[in-house]
Amino acid sequence: MTFLMITGRTVNQGVTVENKTSAEYAAETSTCFMHEFDMLELGLDDGDTVRVTGPCGEVVMRASASVEVEMGTVFVPYGPYANHIVAAGTRSTGMPDFKSHEVEIEPTDEEPKTVHGLMEDLGGLAYDR
Amino acid sequence: MTELLVKNACVIDPLRGINAEMMDIAIRDGKIVEEVSDAAEVIDARGMLTMPGGVDSHTHICGTKVNFGRYMSPEDMRAGRTPRRGPLHATSGYSVPTTYGNSYRYSVMGYTTLLEGAMAPLEARHTHEEFIYTPLQDTMANTLFDGNWAIMEAIRDGDIKRVAAIIAWTLRAVKGFAVKLTNPGGTEAWQWGKNVSCIRDPVPYFEVTPAEIIRSIVEANELLGLPHSVHLHANNLGTPGNYTCTLGSLGLIPDLNEKRQTLYATHVQFHAYGGSGWKDFCSKSEPIARFVSMRPQIVMDMGQVMFGRTTTMTADGPMEFNLYRLHHEKWSNHDVELETGSGIIPVIYRRKNLVNSIMWAIGLELALLTKSPWQCLLTTDNPNGAPFVKYPEIVALLMSKKYRDAEFATIHPDTEARVPLPAIEREMDWYEIAVMTRAGQAKALGLQDLGKGHLAPGADADVAIYPLHIDEVDPSAEYQKVIDAFSRTEYTIKRGRVVARRGECLVDGSNATFWVRPKVSENYDMGKDPDFIEKFDRYYTVRMRNYPVQEEYLNRNRCIETEARI
Amino acid sequence: MIVKDAVCPFCGCLCDDIEVEVEDDRVVAVANACELGMTKFMGERRMKNPILRDGDRWKDITYDEAIRYAADALLSAERPLLYGWSGTHGEAQCVGVHMAELIHGVIDNTSSVCHGPSILAIQEVGHPGCTLGVVKNRADLVIYWGSNPIDAHPRHLSRYTRYAEGFFLENAFRDRKVIVVDIRKTETANIADEFVQIKPGGDYAVLSALRAIVQGKTDTIPRTVAGVTREQLIRVANLCKAAKFGAVYFGLGLTMTQGKYKNIRNAIELVSELSRHTKFTISAMRGHYNVYGSNEVNTWMTGYPFGIDYSRGIAFYNPGETTAVDILARKACDAALVVGSDPAAHFPRKCLEHLADIPVVQLDPYPNATTAFCNVQIPVAVTGVDAEGTAYRMDGVPIRTRKVLSTDYPSDREVLARMYALMQEALER
Repeated sequence: MTFLMITGRTVNQGVTVENKTSAEYAAETSTCFMHEFDMLELGLDDGDTVRVTGPCGEVVMRASASVEVEMGTVFVPYGPYANHIVAAGTRSTGMPDFKSHEVEIEPTDEEPKTVHGLMEDLGGLAYDR
Repeated sequence: MTELLVKNACVIDPLRGINAEMMDIAIRDGKIVEEVSDAAEVIDARGMLTMPGGVDSHTHICGTKVNFGRYMSPEDMRAGRTPRRGPLHATSGYSVPTTYGNSYRYSVMGYTTLLEGAMAPLEARHTHEEFIYTPLQDTMANTLFDGNWAIMEAIRDGDIKRVAAIIAWTLRAVKGFAVKLTNPGGTEAWQWGKNVSCIRDPVPYFEVTPAEIIRSIVEANELLGLPHSVHLHANNLGTPGNYTCTLGSLGLIPDLNEKRQTLYATHVQFHAYGGSGWKDFCSKSEPIARFVSMRPQIVMDMGQVMFGRTTTMTADGPMEFNLYRLHHEKWSNHDVELETGSGIIPVIYRRKNLVNSIMWAIGLELALLTKSPWQCLLTTDNPNGAPFVKYPEIVALLMSKKYRDAEFATIHPDTEARVPLPAIEREMDWYEIAVMTRAGQAKALGLQDLGKGHLAPGADADVAIYPLHIDEVDPSAEYQKVIDAFSRTEYTIKRGRVVARRGECLVDGSNATFWVRPKVSENYDMGKDPDFIEKFDRYYTVRMRNYPVQEEYLNRNRCIETEARI
Repeated sequence: MIVKDAVCPFCGCLCDDIEVEVEDDRVVAVANACELGMTKFMGERRMKNPILRDGDRWKDITYDEAIRYAADALLSAERPLLYGWSGTHGEAQCVGVHMAELIHGVIDNTSSVCHGPSILAIQEVGHPGCTLGVVKNRADLVIYWGSNPIDAHPRHLSRYTRYAEGFFLENAFRDRKVIVVDIRKTETANIADEFVQIKPGGDYAVLSALRAIVQGKTDTIPRTVAGVTREQLIRVANLCKAAKFGAVYFGLGLTMTQGKYKNIRNAIELVSELSRHTKFTISAMRGHYNVYGSNEVNTWMTGYPFGIDYSRGIAFYNPGETTAVDILARKACDAALVVGSDPAAHFPRKCLEHLADIPVVQLDPYPNATTAFCNVQIPVAVTGVDAEGTAYRMDGVPIRTRKVLSTDYPSDREVLARMYALMQEALER
């Protein structure tokens, strides 16, 4: 199913932002907040994992029902999971399309990677595990 | 110990009454001295015109609104860029240059001391940070009090001593140099989208009038014994017919000080307008100049407009909004809680525009019609009237009727009927120019006792040597030579070091900032006043303990302690 | 020992009324701060010493070695990128500019992925704004547009708007109206007097509609605009015109959605329009505690607020070309210095792929996402905790952050100054 992906700040993301290698940060920034009707359509329970595919790749996140999100859109806290699928084009402004990406979402059996895992996929070397 | 000897200088030093005398200038460790040893480095001035370093008594170079002007104008930045070279940093900007841009360009013109025209106390830290990066001039800041709540309440209560106490506390806290009033009362009214119409119009809620604000603060300033007088940007700037308001404001001022003026009225050109609207707009420089000439307690500066593009920026928020309504250009505004405000908008002054042509004439008229050059100093309210790099052209216009006539022929043809300029024959001489560009400023700012504006032994060794022999140049006819000479010194010496030579700056620089610390009695220490403290922490959004500018921002500094009479 | 009036180094609110309790060189309690601030003050898991990536292992190295490595790597690069800056003090930012100028690099700060578009809009139409205390004392109408302060600036409401007392407001809570405009019903929307829900991408149209109504052209408005009814649009426009003092605060909801800086331009023009009827101001909800500082420093020193390229010797500014995301995505830099930010967490993946290929040095107290891409990371003191320096609040007011305790960590400024000195020496030789 196609959705509009919005990324943004949350308190939980902010509270863990100085501790990006923590499990809490990974959990918060890999959460895909969805409308419960959309989750129903996809056969998802709260906490089920989903594969989110964007213009430049895919990433596994965990779905979570939210009353704040409208049908047809999903909200992902600002962080490496969302950015894993955000395109780098800025339309000559310096600012990527952080709040206007169209993504495909489907259920999956995979688990979200750790932040370390994401970084290492792209050529990095994790420091503290 | 470093010694420098400038030989064969043709010196004009009005504060010492020296008018084109050939002499040597001896400098040791940054100060003028009687003589130096044979080991001194020697500069042969070969008879060139030599003056104390230039002093600009009103320029907008550092602080919140100046920086606002910069970052909203990338097109202005592109208009003047230089790369890093040796010790010199890259520069950008035309009417709102970067701090290094300002400093290097002023230095090339021989200026060694600058007064920042307006600093909001709450944001003083920003001004001081930028001062550090304006390294080739000593700096000081006019501190804004026009919309200050605590002061307006004290004025309403008729308590002048409390007014003085608040000014004292604030100047000490934010390391300010002098008291500035911009559209007094108007900046507070503007925080409701209103303005004051003239000096008798009360400020909403506080119910004090601009006249009361001006008079009380002038009295308070003298109680504190500050080196400079109150510095006033009068109400109604830019409005046709505002000259009556200006005369009314100037008429409020008694003569309270023997050594200097009691009021410094700034950029008076913008306040010398006749007519009742744009259609019958005309010059009222004559009554203003006559009025000031009869009152030694007033000193003013020109605020000359020059044609071309520039950026206007003042604390006068409502005035800038009116410019926005007129020109539809990009407009910025920044009100400062409990204190003052500001506005910024780019403008173009055009020869084809009758009003602009009249404005251009008025600035020159004020200078030419004021008998004493000590009472009308040379400024453009940089950058409001024009960027300061145009000062040499203004010097030339003041010295040459021929140049004025040539320029007059290029402006709007109807100007002649609205202004007295074509009939004015006066041509300023070198001595008067020296007064208007340094000696007069130093006297008005109270800096001559601090070693600025003259070259007596003990003074700061700030010297400008211009590539011009006054016995070989007729400024009345050869005005281009005047412009060229004042645009680029042969040498600019700051604190005994050559900092600029023939258009090139040579060193990184290490300036000092001047600030005042009035000493008041225990009873008048606002730092211990429960009412002041309570209101401060309740209505400001910065804690009183975090408000003062810390020592770390001062670099080298000259603190002037005064004995307040409270 | 309790340190009063400490300055919180987290978000653009730059709250300076924090009370920090320090015992045995550790922060043990924090009062007055929100959750974000408290976590910042009490952060514990700092990196102990500089580290160097050696193949697939990490080595501990000394500060001298790390600084030397950094100076060499940046100096030998043809076009180094110096990025971040919003999470450090102004004195360090100044050194950064000098460094970029010296080594002909590009210096950019986190504005480019945050409120850079706001600055672009300001460069087109100006910025009618004010300090936060003006709003606190006067505003009877506050509009949060595309901004969710409860999550991102938790004390904004209590210090400056909804719950703050105001000199001119007898009963501030009752007399102030709050309107929230957003595409989703956020927590902040729940405490609003009026919530305007817009379809994603519709902000520009709604702003235009409001401008039309304010200009008296209500009959041009269709039944709905981007999901907002005509009735609600008229109601909001009337609330604006009837206000004695209106303040708009906007966030990433405007800068990041379709239209980007054009959205903000439209919002600013709406406020300039409203200024002809009553008093109205608009300001950006700056995210980091000192991102505005990096704009201020960059501007007074280079002329431009972000994205400055010194590779030609002069300062050159062209957002979209000289901004970090674009430079990394195009592989147009060959070394990077990261200070006070975490691009690996906040930049699109393509940028990270390039970071993996070039030498990267980071100054940061904590291991973060960017650590994985570093060749060297140098732990520094935390500004506001064990280092002090100037920060500029979201409204431009500069406040000096305090040191509440001492550690052996050097500050950003100290490390950068040492690096800069080594570079100057090398260039002289």
